[in-house]
Amino acid sequence: MTATSSRTRIVAFSAIVAVALILAVAAVVLGAGGKDPVAAGAAHAVPVSRALVAAPHIVFRDTARGAAYGRVGLVPLANPTARPAITGLSCDRVYVAGGRGLCLFANRGVITTYKGVIFDARTFRPQHTFSLPGSPSRARVSADGRLVAYTVFVIGDGYGSQGFSTRTFIRDAASGRELAQLERFTTYRDGHVIHAADFNFWGVTFAADDNRFYATLGTAGRTYLVQGDLARRQVKVLTAGVECPSLSPDGKRIAFKQRAGGGIGPVHWRPAVLDLATLRSHPLADTRNVDDQIEWYDNDHVSYGLPQNASSPVTDVWKVPAAGGGRPERVLSGAWSPAVVRG
Amino acid sequence: MQIDGPWPRYTSVYASVRNVPAEVLAAPAARSGRRRIAVSRTVILLGLVSLFTDLSQEMVTAVLPLYLTYQVRLSPLQFGFIDGMYQGATALVRLLGGLVADRKERHKEVAATGYGASALCKLALVAVGGAWLGTTAVLLVDRLGKGIRTAPRDALISLDSERAGLGRSFGVHRALDTVGAMLGPLAAFVLLAQLPGQYNTVFLVSFSIALIGLGILVLFVENRRNRETDAVADEPAAPKEHVTFRAALSLFRITRFRVIALVGSGLGLLTISDAFLYLVIQRQTHLDVKWFPLLFLGTAMAYLGFAVPIGRIADRVGRGRVFLAGHLALLGVYLVLRFVDLGTGAVLCTLLLFGLYYASTDGVLMALASPTIPERLRTSGFALITTGTATTRFMSSVVFGAIWVAWGSQVAMLIFLVGLAVMVPAAALTLRRHPEAAPA
Repeated sequence: MTATSSRTRIVAFSAIVAVALILAVAAVVLGAGGKDPVAAGAAHAVPVSRALVAAPHIVFRDTARGAAYGRVGLVPLANPTARPAITGLSCDRVYVAGGRGLCLFANRGVITTYKGVIFDARTFRPQHTFSLPGSPSRARVSADGRLVAYTVFVIGDGYGSQGFSTRTFIRDAASGRELAQLERFTTYRDGHVIHAADFNFWGVTFAADDNRFYATLGTAGRTYLVQGDLARRQVKVLTAGVECPSLSPDGKRIAFKQRAGGGIGPVHWRPAVLDLATLRSHPLADTRNVDDQIEWYDNDHVSYGLPQNASSPVTDVWKVPAAGGGRPERVLSGAWSPAVVRG
Repeated sequence: MQIDGPWPRYTSVYASVRNVPAEVLAAPAARSGRRRIAVSRTVILLGLVSLFTDLSQEMVTAVLPLYLTYQVRLSPLQFGFIDGMYQGATALVRLLGGLVADRKERHKEVAATGYGASALCKLALVAVGGAWLGTTAVLLVDRLGKGIRTAPRDALISLDSERAGLGRSFGVHRALDTVGAMLGPLAAFVLLAQLPGQYNTVFLVSFSIALIGLGILVLFVENRRNRETDAVADEPAAPKEHVTFRAALSLFRITRFRVIALVGSGLGLLTISDAFLYLVIQRQTHLDVKWFPLLFLGTAMAYLGFAVPIGRIADRVGRGRVFLAGHLALLGVYLVLRFVDLGTGAVLCTLLLFGLYYASTDGVLMALASPTIPERLRTSGFALITTGTATTRFMSSVVFGAIWVAWGSQVAMLIFLVGLAVMVPAAALTLRRHPEAAPA
């Protein structure tokens, strides 16, 4: 190699380093100039009026592109297309019922931590904060606001390794105290105790008595609907193929996501409704992939979030008749995790 | 000024221009004693290439679970499934890349293709904008890039090191590599902490860093022409014969190579993946999962500390011995995890042993295999060995996971512990029965 070519290489390398530096700096500057969902949100908060909270309303996670991304928003149930009020709370999952709310969120940092907050659903002020052992998956509050339940994905159980695992907890909303971890409950099937190391529970929905609840049990690649008894610390298997149950306001039906064929790529789920008396289920009119814990809009309709398109972080909330038939109808634009507060 | 450039034709210029310390070019065997052998410029350069590339790679790997769950909305289950399907494709390109590199004597260019593909993938992640099909396709290409580049890079390291200093060369390279792997997650999370949710910024910065690594490789690393213009003693083929798939497979006719491939793959069957080991530690200590990354960090630090000294020891006392001793360290890890009530001290001890295992096996296996592979087949030989170990390790993960689910982690640990305790002496006997041929 001659001296010239050696110098050429050094010049070329300097050029590469310069380009790389400029690109990196530009990326950081552009990133900083772009939406900063958490910090900028407060400035764009639209105050929550007392009247709005007192009347029936929908609480949701804002996913519209903009400063309010990730914030908890509210619209009146009577007029869901109204400009939403935006609270100061920022959550990955949120749910509200009976005057209490549950918010699950990630503190993304050098070491990402996950936290849960029980808040007053009128003032949106935090009441109890606790840490989560993994990333948020599902959040529910019992109808009278006395119990909260949540599911997290336990990290470390590994991307690219073997499957995943979840943990599901129930807390007393007033004291914030942990009452139960479903993985420690005794599980019955046809009267016999069953157990396997790969038991995963997720998606709790509470009955009106604050003792009975329903949830999903996943094991050996299959999912089951279980009915739980909080006082006795046990669950029993009711039927198979039910994920993320959601009990209807009249307590007679369960809306859930039903696995509709797997094949290559992500699993496809369709919304469906199960009659608890007969354990018979029927699919709903929406054939799109629903990966949300369904919420009952009223006794005759269910609602859920769907991404606007496959690659979009922006989601809309849809509703569809619970009896089957009819057509899906968009309720909210730029929203996720709907909770209908009927007042 | 014309850039005569990154892809020169290979002529005899090489022997005279290499910036290699004279003693490296001098008769290798004579210098193997207590004298320090300088690590060649190429090894340092490749170490820097790996440092930047791993920094870039680990930045993305570290944020990927968050990105996939929150932006792409894949569940861990779905991603695990897709990831598993990609494993097979990697083995194929690894062998193919090896053949091309050997046949054309263009290790650098093949390695650069792999590094380049992975770098472009960081840009592509931004371009596909979180669509699941696009994102997983990009991750596949990224994985293929990694598959392509490893063997020719290790071939360059081995071809540019004298036989007596192979362990040290690989040790130096792996140490630099580990520095990058440690800095990556840190860089990613500092960025994400400052710019929440700005994954594209992480990907773009990662691309910039990969570009620097690629630049070092393309501009400064040089291919090495085979030193063996004379035919190798135990190799039947004529020196100018084309490198074909059959020729690569004929490496298995070399006893020592076959034995090393067999021993490496066999031990791989009993190697519990680090993800599982960390999981066992986490379960037993009820360690808050937020500290999980510290387990990776602890192991990496131990690896970093041990890599160079262990490489030198391997050169002195025998690479086969050190390779086996590394698996004894792994056995120690299993023993502690299975039988000791884990406190902070025991966990630290485990991580130290685990780092020691990595330092004594990863680069050392390549150093051990190097002298058995004729130079003209060096990349293909490395590709064969790493494909073997990667395959058996993958199988071991599946088996360990299945036993864990069926009978619990304690049973799984015990089975692997007993298996390894039997396998290490068996491997030692096999290696001893077929010793390394005397230096040519």
